[in-house]
Amino acid sequence: MRRILITAAVAALGTGLAACGSTNAGSGATSSGGTASAATTSCTYAGVQKELYTKGVLTVATDKPAYPPWFEDNNPANGKGYESAVAYAVAKQLGFKNSQVKWAYEPFNDSYAPGPKKFDFDINEISVSPQRAQAVTFSTTYYNVQQALVALQGTPIVTKHTPADLKGYVFGDQVGTTSLAFINSAIQPTQTPKVYETLNDVKQALQTHQIAALVADTPTAQYISSSEIKHSVMVGQFPSSGEHYGLLFAKGNPLVTCVDKALATLNKNGTLAALEKKYLQIYLTVPNLKP
Amino acid sequence: MTGPPQTSFGAEGRGPRLLSSGRGAVAVSTASTIVVLAGLVLLFWLAPGSAAVRHTFFNPQDMWKSFIGDPKAGYYSVGAALWLNIRMFLAAEVLILILALVIAVVRQSVSPVMFPIRVVSTIYVDVFRGVPLILVIFAIGFGVPALNLGFISTQSAAVYGVLALVLSYSAYVSEVYRAGLNSVHQSQVAAARSLGLSQWTSLRYVILPQAVRNIIPPLLNDFISLQKDTALVGILGAIEANKAAEIFSDTVFNYSSYVVAAILFLLLTIPLARFTDHLIARDRRRRLAGAPA
Repeated sequence: MRRILITAAVAALGTGLAACGSTNAGSGATSSGGTASAATTSCTYAGVQKELYTKGVLTVATDKPAYPPWFEDNNPANGKGYESAVAYAVAKQLGFKNSQVKWAYEPFNDSYAPGPKKFDFDINEISVSPQRAQAVTFSTTYYNVQQALVALQGTPIVTKHTPADLKGYVFGDQVGTTSLAFINSAIQPTQTPKVYETLNDVKQALQTHQIAALVADTPTAQYISSSEIKHSVMVGQFPSSGEHYGLLFAKGNPLVTCVDKALATLNKNGTLAALEKKYLQIYLTVPNLKP
Repeated sequence: MTGPPQTSFGAEGRGPRLLSSGRGAVAVSTASTIVVLAGLVLLFWLAPGSAAVRHTFFNPQDMWKSFIGDPKAGYYSVGAALWLNIRMFLAAEVLILILALVIAVVRQSVSPVMFPIRVVSTIYVDVFRGVPLILVIFAIGFGVPALNLGFISTQSAAVYGVLALVLSYSAYVSEVYRAGLNSVHQSQVAAARSLGLSQWTSLRYVILPQAVRNIIPPLLNDFISLQKDTALVGILGAIEANKAAEIFSDTVFNYSSYVVAAILFLLLTIPLARFTDHLIARDRRRRLAGAPA
């Protein structure tokens, strides 16, 4: 136990610096966790056993509810939805059978708490940032994300969204997403945005006109506008700011090395692209907005 | 140890005291306080995860950053956000004092004409004391805008939050008022009425002044609680101190901002708590008027 913590502290310095170096790496493909361990033997089912939270199973965590299109039917264990599918693909690369993947519930607010974690990695649309990488270890990217706007049909923002117009609206987002930083630095609205606990609260606020538009990642935004809120429309997406999603590990967890290798393989052999196409396919043609 | 035998209650007629008197007692209590505190600090400092906890909760840099805020980095000033808590608290407090008094007086009334209103206020108190405050805030904050009632449905989250706080707290405070009204002896009412005062004037000039004086400590106690509960309005999207702290910690993965919010709430509530103590002591002195307890 003690040794793990010391390793963690040392690795904290290492990955902190590494992450700083790779901040704006466009695709985000550079590793931010590669330095975390050198002692890993081999990335096979047998090789990773001693690094697991529970021997014999890969424990993967996410929040509740698990939102589409990242998950489907609020059931991460069904293998459907982009993040669920990615988790199972990573598990397969490491030699786990589907039945050897166990899902744990981890609220986003708790995922970065100090102390031992109850999972091997957390997959929950978590954006990688150098500040966050001081508290946890991230894998390399599994999705490069852009932010988008959803509004109700017939509201002013649908037609009037020049950079100057955008400043005048009240925006809403879910706490913990990076869209708040995006709104404040790129749009610079005159009114303080509203920040809700869950995505469902944000949707409710949009439907009752408490906010002019909600800001979410493009797949979420297009799912909301196409399937969830009637009479809502996706106004458009903003250009990429280099933001990307990574799997969250306990600080210094050596398992990240093998997971990074697995992600690299999945990227190279086209699996990630195929899954993106399968689950996020409707999100390929989206009008671009200028912030 | 040495010194006169101590009773824990009523020393010098001042009610329970924090420190027992006598030199030996002071020395012993000082020593034991130091030992206990040192033990706790040592335990905290030597725990295997101490460094991680100190970094995550008590990092001075992060505390300062969250206190001043940086919207472009995705978080707001916890200090500035506290101003919203203070405004919500002040607005709610005034409204609660009025509404709760009305409810209490209605519930205490005896006139048969008032019967339906008495029933309504009894149901009101039962319901709002029983329903968790967070649900009331949710129901008002998301429900009223959904009604689409023009002006009423387009208020800010803070307004709905205050409304919910007033609804919930008035139910509690009305019971405090009622206890105060009941604490005034029936003979006071009889005396006032026999002097020819009407029911209303005797309530206004005889009963209420005595009742309110009795309930100032429990009233202030409820308001200390109210100050903290303004943090719950954050669930409606309003950025008050606790929400600002949450945004900070979720953005940079460090909980120090919550400690900042906690310190600010303490700074807000401790003066009120001391003021309550002062009022209790003053009232006690006045009523005893120098007589031995």
